[in-house]
Amino acid sequence: MATSESDKCWRECMDVAVEVACRAGKVVQEAVKHEKSVSTKSTPTDLVTEADQQVEELIISTLRDKFPSHRFIGEESSAAGEKCILTDNPSWIIDPIDGTCNFVHSFPMVAVSIGFAVKKELEFGVIYHCFDGTLYTARKGHGAFCNGVRIQVSKEKDVSKALILTEIGAKRDPATLNIFSGNIMKLLSAPTHGVRIIGSSTLALCLIATGAAEAYYQYGLHCWDIAAAAVIIREAGGIVIDTSGGPLDLMSRRVVAAGTHEMANYIVQQLQPISYERDDSDPDVQK
Amino acid sequence: MTDLWQNAMDHAVALARKAGSLVRDAVQNDMKEKFPTHSFIGEESVAAGEPCVLTDNPTWIVDPVDGTTNFVHGYPFVAVSIGFAVDRKLEFGVVYSCIEDKMYTARKGKGAFCNGQILNVSDQKEISQSIIATEFGSNRDIEVVDKIFSSMRKILCLPIHGIRGVGTAATNMCLVASGCVEAYYEIGIHCWDIAAGAIIVTEAGGVLMDVDGGPLDLMSRRVVAANNKIIAERIVKEIDAFTPLRDDASTETED
Repeated sequence: MATSESDKCWRECMDVAVEVACRAGKVVQEAVKHEKSVSTKSTPTDLVTEADQQVEELIISTLRDKFPSHRFIGEESSAAGEKCILTDNPSWIIDPIDGTCNFVHSFPMVAVSIGFAVKKELEFGVIYHCFDGTLYTARKGHGAFCNGVRIQVSKEKDVSKALILTEIGAKRDPATLNIFSGNIMKLLSAPTHGVRIIGSSTLALCLIATGAAEAYYQYGLHCWDIAAAAVIIREAGGIVIDTSGGPLDLMSRRVVAAGTHEMANYIVQQLQPISYERDDSDPDVQK
Repeated sequence: MTDLWQNAMDHAVALARKAGSLVRDAVQNDMKEKFPTHSFIGEESVAAGEPCVLTDNPTWIVDPVDGTTNFVHGYPFVAVSIGFAVDRKLEFGVVYSCIEDKMYTARKGKGAFCNGQILNVSDQKEISQSIIATEFGSNRDIEVVDKIFSSMRKILCLPIHGIRGVGTAATNMCLVASGCVEAYYEIGIHCWDIAAGAIIVTEAGGVLMDVDGGPLDLMSRRVVAANNKIIAERIVKEIDAFTPLRDDASTETED
């Protein structure tokens, strides 16, 4: 149970997170207008740009300055070889540009995502939509908000009325794509109202939190894609769990999120899994 | 609690219909008054039994609410689509993406714009660096669904950067015109979904074709809109085509 002192401290942390997310978001907004220098990471579709690295550095340096004892888990630092282990220490879990592929194409779904955990419990989340300036925030026990207005998930239980969101993930081998499309086909044919792919897992998860869609599932996303959005969805009344139906495993590279248990459980039952290496696996161990 | 949300859903559906009728009435009544000799093709008029045949007459081709599923869910992509053709050629198109407040317009020979800013398609020629937009559609027949997914899998394997779909054909076409995606393709849409978007794409420098590589046939229920011929033709090779009932098919059996 958080003491009133740590409660005040996490609130201060969250205020700083909001300020730096908005500032970073505006840097991204400006960068999207210019030529981008693009490289690839794990696969030819797993893109990274200089902006990713610069924005992450901006966020981490600001936070480290204010909170020197905290730990940082960021997409780009992790790519640079830093271990992605969640400890009891206050930890920031950061995706500087979620939707890098969208960013490269100027497709208007790009976000800055800042999550925060203490004793391995997610405490708050801040997500800033770089194209339209929408700010999603939530602190554990204090509700979820979009531009300061309280948001709530859809309470739909009937699968036939569901709009479902997902993303492809970085793996593009034929076997993976067969499972990926098989999962969508099954859900579409349930039948449901439809399935949408927007290219940013954090913004898709925010659309679950606002009730614009009923459920989200994905294989291949990272802890920095889930950390902030999980708090926002839960505080909006929704649930966030593992694709097996068990509790969320932040490092597992997979998630199901929905407005209701009925919706989440239905999705869990339909899914065929796609495996990805865990975020907390040792980068020095050769597979 | 379930009843409460069912009521909300029913209300949303009624609202969507009302919005659709309001726009249809606003467009048709307003336009019919201003241009009494013009023809109208729209989702609502076709549903009311009016013919869907494009003649040489100046013709308004209207979808008052493109993205009805999105509208009902509060999913933020809903568009009003108004196309205009004379001698069966598109003269101008207007797509208003209402929730984003983006007004896309194009007049033949005068370019394409979004909120006053000129639009240009992407200059990407490599399919492996492309994002392709498409939708899964509303047809749940197993044969149709199989073909839709077979096309999508083949295109994903080219490989490409990714697949996207905002849930409205008109907006997907505007994303091609804006350069945000390299191409959009779909089978099952209607002429009123694509008429306005078609001229917005071409005025932004893009190309249109049928899924078999031939010229776009507005009534065929099939479309490919792309930034250039290279990308369009590359996608067309992978599309598992099928032939829905045409928009201008006779509703009566003829001997």
